[in-house]
Amino acid sequence: MGYVTSLIVMLGAAPAVQEDGQWTMPAKDYAASRYSGLTGINTANVKRLRAAWSFSTGVLAGHEGQPLVVNNTMYVVTPYPNVLYAFDLTEEGYPLKWKYRPYVNPAAIGIACCDVINRGAFYAQGKIVYNLLDGHTVAVDAATGKELWRTRVADVNQGESTPMAPLVVRDRVIVGTSGGEYGVRGWVKGLDLESGRIVWTAYNAGPDAEVLAGPETFKPFYDRGRDLARNSWPPDGWKHGGAPVWGWLSYDPALDLLYYGTGNPAPYNAEQRPGDNKWATSVLARRPGDGALIWAYQFTPADNWDYDSVQEMILADLAIKGRRRKVLVHFDKNGFAYTIDRATGEVLVAEPYVTVNWARRVSLATGRPELDSTKLTGASRGNVTDICPTLEGGKNQQPAAYSPQTGLFYVPTNNMCMDYQTAPVTYLAGTPYMGVSAPYKPGPGGHLGAFIAWDAARGKKLWEIREPYPVWSGALATAGGLVFYGTLDGWLKAADAKSGAVLWKFKVGSGVVGNPITFTGPDRRQYVAVYAGFGGDWFLLSGDVRSDDPADVRPPAGFMPDIARHTSLGGIIWLFAL
Amino acid sequence: MAVRAVAAAPLLALWVTSAQQPAPPSVLYEQHIFAGGAAPPAGKLENPFQGDKKSAQEGEKLFAAFNCDGCHGGGAVGAVGPSLADGRWRYGGADGAMFHSIFYGRPRGMPAFGGILPPDAIWKLVTYLQSLQPATDAATVSWSK
Repeated sequence: MGYVTSLIVMLGAAPAVQEDGQWTMPAKDYAASRYSGLTGINTANVKRLRAAWSFSTGVLAGHEGQPLVVNNTMYVVTPYPNVLYAFDLTEEGYPLKWKYRPYVNPAAIGIACCDVINRGAFYAQGKIVYNLLDGHTVAVDAATGKELWRTRVADVNQGESTPMAPLVVRDRVIVGTSGGEYGVRGWVKGLDLESGRIVWTAYNAGPDAEVLAGPETFKPFYDRGRDLARNSWPPDGWKHGGAPVWGWLSYDPALDLLYYGTGNPAPYNAEQRPGDNKWATSVLARRPGDGALIWAYQFTPADNWDYDSVQEMILADLAIKGRRRKVLVHFDKNGFAYTIDRATGEVLVAEPYVTVNWARRVSLATGRPELDSTKLTGASRGNVTDICPTLEGGKNQQPAAYSPQTGLFYVPTNNMCMDYQTAPVTYLAGTPYMGVSAPYKPGPGGHLGAFIAWDAARGKKLWEIREPYPVWSGALATAGGLVFYGTLDGWLKAADAKSGAVLWKFKVGSGVVGNPITFTGPDRRQYVAVYAGFGGDWFLLSGDVRSDDPADVRPPAGFMPDIARHTSLGGIIWLFAL
Repeated sequence: MAVRAVAAAPLLALWVTSAQQPAPPSVLYEQHIFAGGAAPPAGKLENPFQGDKKSAQEGEKLFAAFNCDGCHGGGAVGAVGPSLADGRWRYGGADGAMFHSIFYGRPRGMPAFGGILPPDAIWKLVTYLQSLQPATDAATVSWSK
């Protein structure tokens, strides 16, 4: 323990030193670690873990995201129509204190690319803050369930929707828009926590003035020049160029920097948007107070493969080549895991964490990938075959965890390759702006996913647990020496964080695409919570997994024809305890 | 998945210039129960291109050019939007019901295309969808050996 304690003390933006047994923000802490210091459930006793409670949300759709637990209350946001439940954990059976049922415009269903998911809420200063699918951010009184404010931040008529989880820093609520498949112009906004007023808007592409890239403050590590986010596009291309924000945000209080990744440039046919397309497929570091851009780095310049970079930026302090560095660690859709100096944007380590063949390596000198030209795509190139990874990414929305106890990152991954064919498309507001056919196939080994342990200081995989299907749930690491994750075929599993040995599993009734959390109940016992609710991208792509609509019957998915044998849509909240 | 073979821009220009058409009349939905057993008065729309192969082919191109496949999938087999190739219809499969679905849109996410597509183009889309042959045994999926 001495080692662990001293390591935690050294961490600047890192897992809280004092474990209070709550879960107040999506990724547990600002560092996005998804690490809990609780030890009640551990490698020695996890075999005795059992189901303690369950509740149907009443909604059949992908249950991404995770509950919050604050002041002996558990808060759950459902997929569309985005009901907010508050469960009283002090009473037997955990009855509701209240529920909040906002009006959400059903038209938003038609511009939600990948199921009507919601990635969760944030607790701050007595408020539960979250996004409705139809472009509204709401704040609800955590005690009473009364709506405090409701702000329209996005426009469904332009293909904007808002499934992401906000991040609150001091009095600022940070939200972003989805819509990379609908030709939006991606942005993040900073709202006032008290009133909901929009204080600033920062676009991810366009002129410096609208990207909030000031000549005095914006210092990217690799790039030089003005209006990079306008000049790396064809004229006006950035106006419908995508670069949405639908993933996870993190924050370093010492540097006062907010980190988030951006999604794909639009449309998929890269020949319609010659140039690097900054800052799509990038990480951006901003001041939360006024949105000022401090640095940015593009993982996949001129993206040819829909390699969004919205995956979480996990903040940790790691010894790299003998020197302790404040880094962010990011597992990109493009298959590389990046360890980046989070003060400057310098890439320190970039190694593939899944099978990658579109690029040979990432140059640390230039920050750019060295491409395999035979894997470039575009309408004139026809059908380009056997590209790894697929447009689902080596990892997608499913967030990884970092354990300071082991110094390792725990990463849910996909193991698939694809063929990719694009076609020219026309922008029609409110309709898809894509133009792609990209069938998937299993990657090397034949399994479609794996849960892996990653050393981000060295860029090495330590172990993996192979899974028959893409691992679409997030990871949870605990001081009990455990890591938890769920599977698409409906298992919740606990593994030894050191060895990767699976020590416990339970079939939860529907595929897991949400993220397990843990907390201390009023009875002082440790609980693990997770959603069972198949969906997200797999709602679209898994063939006949729905039973709720007699007018929608589909053939099986060629690359995973038997998924519907093991799961169907669901919507269950589970609690587990010893 | 079928692949888009057509650049959308020329088609779009063609249709938009001729898109000044009156709205169609209300139609009956054969799936509805009629209260008291009495059907309300309504018009009946018939597909002028019914069964016409060339119209179906043009409809397939429109299905890609107007981004229908972005939601319903190539071949209309279903993606984020429901399958339109299974012979089953959430809002009715008669000519007029399908026309209305495209022209006015539907509440759970189907955009209204009546503002940019003239009736002829919508009928070609209907003709394409009606040309898709659903599997006869779609109701049963079996995994037993």
